[in-house]
Amino acid sequence: MRGMRLSQLPPSGKVFCTLFLAGIGCGALAAFTQAATAVGVSPAAVRDSLAPEAPMTDLHHGQMSAEKEIDLSQISETAKVFIRTPLLIQTSHTHLFGQTLIAGLLALIFLFSSVGERSKCVIGALPFAGTLIDIGGMWATRFVSPSLSVLVTAGGTLFALGYVAIAVLSIYDLWFRKEHLV
Amino acid sequence: MSKRIAIILGSAILSALFSVSARAHITPPVVLASDREAVVRLLPAATRYFVREVRPSPAEQDAIRQRTGWNPDEDFYRFYVGRTAEGAPVAAIVFLSEFTLHGPVRVAVAVGPDGKVTGASVVEVTEESYTWVKPLLDGGFLQRFAGHDARDALAQAENVGGSMPRFYAGVIARLIARAATLYEVTTRSN
Repeated sequence: MRGMRLSQLPPSGKVFCTLFLAGIGCGALAAFTQAATAVGVSPAAVRDSLAPEAPMTDLHHGQMSAEKEIDLSQISETAKVFIRTPLLIQTSHTHLFGQTLIAGLLALIFLFSSVGERSKCVIGALPFAGTLIDIGGMWATRFVSPSLSVLVTAGGTLFALGYVAIAVLSIYDLWFRKEHLV
Repeated sequence: MSKRIAIILGSAILSALFSVSARAHITPPVVLASDREAVVRLLPAATRYFVREVRPSPAEQDAIRQRTGWNPDEDFYRFYVGRTAEGAPVAAIVFLSEFTLHGPVRVAVAVGPDGKVTGASVVEVTEESYTWVKPLLDGGFLQRFAGHDARDALAQAENVGGSMPRFYAGVIARLIARAATLYEVTTRSN
């Protein structure tokens, strides 16, 4: 960008950028582990936690009550978290602020990489797009269709792919790219 | 030129770090029991299990609102009903949640055929609220509700020490009162 390159940063700048990228990577791993243990990362697990609960009986629309005998195995034994609308609102605002800030800082570092402008646009946009698809997918699963839980997994994957690409390319530029004097 | 890049990057990272730490964040959930564990624990005398799902009518919703101040706005509510081998009802369990500033509190409440609470179990809190709920659980707070109906469930939250444990005792008592009222209005009276 305007002739400025990551490879031209002073050692302190290189260290800070690298530590930031490493810290965000560790944070992303911790977030993935937390999501995997509390909710699950597969579309089916996301659907179980987010989609409106379907009746276990044949309770039809307009019917006031229904009862049926069940086996204990039909009751969930996974210690899962139910994400209902108030929690979805809280989760959305914290993650939209947090992830967009992270995506912005990643993009800021990536702006000074030596990658071509078109690739910069595509790769730098991945964490932003992933965040919107991830959080949007949660709302779509809850209010549009449970089958849209796949968007949550896709959004998270997109964010991770964007982060990995930005981190790898930026660290290469920071520490391994040789600047050719013109 | 490189000094300029360093200043831009450094300022952006610092401002972002300050704004991230300044905003409130709900701590991760602490799930104390699965639904199945809670059902088994609260229906020890049952040998047969039934699911009864009820959709409160507008009149029933009004009755619940008047008695508890709570608006039962879910599409339907699910009771896990335990019966003996002969089919006699033991109790019915319903799971209800309340969302506090610190995240959700989810409670399983067992109500007997006479409308009296036979047991309750806190199944989900958050890391932050767990520090206030744990002393209640360790002190046998939930046992206070056994034998009480919806009307005097709220009174059981009295005489709890500490402002935050007292706050969560109130939340749990409200959930138990709502569960007993829901059972009374939608199931017991039908």
